[in-house]
Amino acid sequence: MESNTQGTSRKFRQLFAKPEYSSILMLVVMIVLAAILQRNFFRPSSLILTIDAFSPLILLTMGQAVVMLSGSFDLSSGAALSLYTCVLTWIMKTGEPFSGVVALLVTLAVAILVGIINGFGAGYMRVSSVVVTFATAYVWLGIGLFIRPTPGGDSVNWFNAFYDFRNVEGAPQIFQNLGAFLPPVLLLVLLACGIWYVISRTRLGRYIYAVGGNEESAYRSGINTARVQIAAYVINSIFVFLAALFFVGQNQSGDARFGDPFTLRTIAAAVVGGIALTGGKGSVYTALVGAVIISLVNKVIFFANISYAYGTLVAGLIVIVAIAGPQIYQIYNKRSAEIKRSPA
Amino acid sequence: MSPRTQTLLAEFYDRNKKIITALLAIVLVFILGQVVVSGFLTIHQVLITMKLASFIALFGLCQMLVMSAGGAGLDLSVGYTATITAIFTASVMNGANSNLWLAILIAIGIGLVVGLANGLLSAYVKLPSLVVTLAMSQILQGTINVYTAGRLISGKPSPVLQILAAKASGIIPNIVLLLLTVTVVVMVILYRTKLGATLFGVGENETAAYLSGINTRRVRTIAFTMSGIIASLIGLLLIGNMGVAFKDMGSDYVLPSIAAAVVGGVSLRGGNGNYVGVVLGAILLQTVLNLLVALGWGDAGKWTGFGIVLYVLLMAYVGNRRKR
Repeated sequence: MESNTQGTSRKFRQLFAKPEYSSILMLVVMIVLAAILQRNFFRPSSLILTIDAFSPLILLTMGQAVVMLSGSFDLSSGAALSLYTCVLTWIMKTGEPFSGVVALLVTLAVAILVGIINGFGAGYMRVSSVVVTFATAYVWLGIGLFIRPTPGGDSVNWFNAFYDFRNVEGAPQIFQNLGAFLPPVLLLVLLACGIWYVISRTRLGRYIYAVGGNEESAYRSGINTARVQIAAYVINSIFVFLAALFFVGQNQSGDARFGDPFTLRTIAAAVVGGIALTGGKGSVYTALVGAVIISLVNKVIFFANISYAYGTLVAGLIVIVAIAGPQIYQIYNKRSAEIKRSPA
Repeated sequence: MSPRTQTLLAEFYDRNKKIITALLAIVLVFILGQVVVSGFLTIHQVLITMKLASFIALFGLCQMLVMSAGGAGLDLSVGYTATITAIFTASVMNGANSNLWLAILIAIGIGLVVGLANGLLSAYVKLPSLVVTLAMSQILQGTINVYTAGRLISGKPSPVLQILAAKASGIIPNIVLLLLTVTVVVMVILYRTKLGATLFGVGENETAAYLSGINTRRVRTIAFTMSGIIASLIGLLLIGNMGVAFKDMGSDYVLPSIAAAVVGGVSLRGGNGNYVGVVLGAILLQTVLNLLVALGWGDAGKWTGFGIVLYVLLMAYVGNRRKR
């Protein structure tokens, strides 16, 4: 009987030790909690609002996850997000639909450049990625402030399509109907998933894992590690760009400072989603689940009626717990495994 | 010049390459400033630069301690540690000298708790120190938000602190004299005591230090703790200089402090650090900043300039690309 319970507990621990299962377990717990606190959680209209609120962090976390898989961090993604909203609203002119297309293309080019600059420092010059992206974060902030010293700017009407189809003037009836139950940002998330699905099946996808797992041996087996790391940063930039589209669609304006708080949360979310801090391990899709979990934690705090002043404090504590928790658990597990293996 | 003096000179240059570079760069920026903006190079301007640079240099000490202990250590929480100390001690001091000792005790206490937490999470739980200290900044900022919600930050610094941080002896600002004292003390501790050797040893080669019986994790934790305490004490100087405490008074020093340490030749891989270099790095950055302000670039130019300077310096000093 005793051995049996031991067997079950080991099985349970093994189950929990697999990051995919533990994050899905956490997801279920958080959804139940949120549903208890917010009565109409499952009503379609409120679900759409929830997806709207969560999606930017999901996109940013997926990008961060790609970078972390390649063995680096990006501390500039929040600042880059702000920069893209500034560039978008700087180029667009209200009432000139075509300027939206130009803005889209120019900002995408800016995003790719941002990724290359980060990747050049961290991958090619091999400087610690945290410090490089910490420095570039200030450059993005500064450029954003040049363009837009105070929040504001122009936007074209069809950019509403990134937030709610129904807000687009003169949209066909089918879009009006779609908008009632389909948040467009969900399409952006699906697009990001699609992009990653394709990439993860190419050689580049495998190389990202290889470089993140062991840069030195990846290099020795002939992989151009610098190029792989630059590619990872560019993919991240593109996902951040998708999040910027959502925010401009929602707010119709740009702001050089609003993205900052996101940076840390993306790392926390990726870790909760099972991405190893040391790189090479995890999946971008479970990182997505991590982003939902972190967002749900914030939602639960909101519905638990905690004062607004506590927001930053609680967010910081959650990040520490989210990052340190799995790590402590792992260290403890390794140690107890060593004790068991050693002859009594 | 005899060959012997030549080799000695070459050796001296080699050992102090970054310090000499920083010195030359400072002179260059001042001259450039004088060319572009008239009245940039005056005694008054130089002294103001020194005074403002002193705060960056003191924060740079925190970064140097943490960086030289290796493990890609950096402390991003120094700004908010200083801010929270300034805010909490303002009401304790209330403009009188009588409670200064209590304020110093509180400062040390805050620094100890923050630094120890940073150190334990970085060294023992093995989390990236940048992520830990960034999260710590957020926690401290959050605590400040909670404390100041629906309440005004009241109180003034004690006169002693104001004399120390804001006043001048003759024409030389007192804070510059304080920085000189700190520099001497730090250099003696780092280069003439066992503590310095241990710190650099752990940063240089962790395995070797561990195998020679040093508790490397403890050393790293101590480095973070000292960084926290020093940052907290700088908070007292900041309020002494400003006369009041406010929410973001320390956060603007974080990036310059790291940049100063990197410019000063402290390696991000650990194992070295010359505080004189950090002080010169701080003066260089402050001079660049003054120039940007004199040109009327404001916040945007300041952050863009600092970020680009740091990025370029990182590439030049730390860059380690593979040669094919």
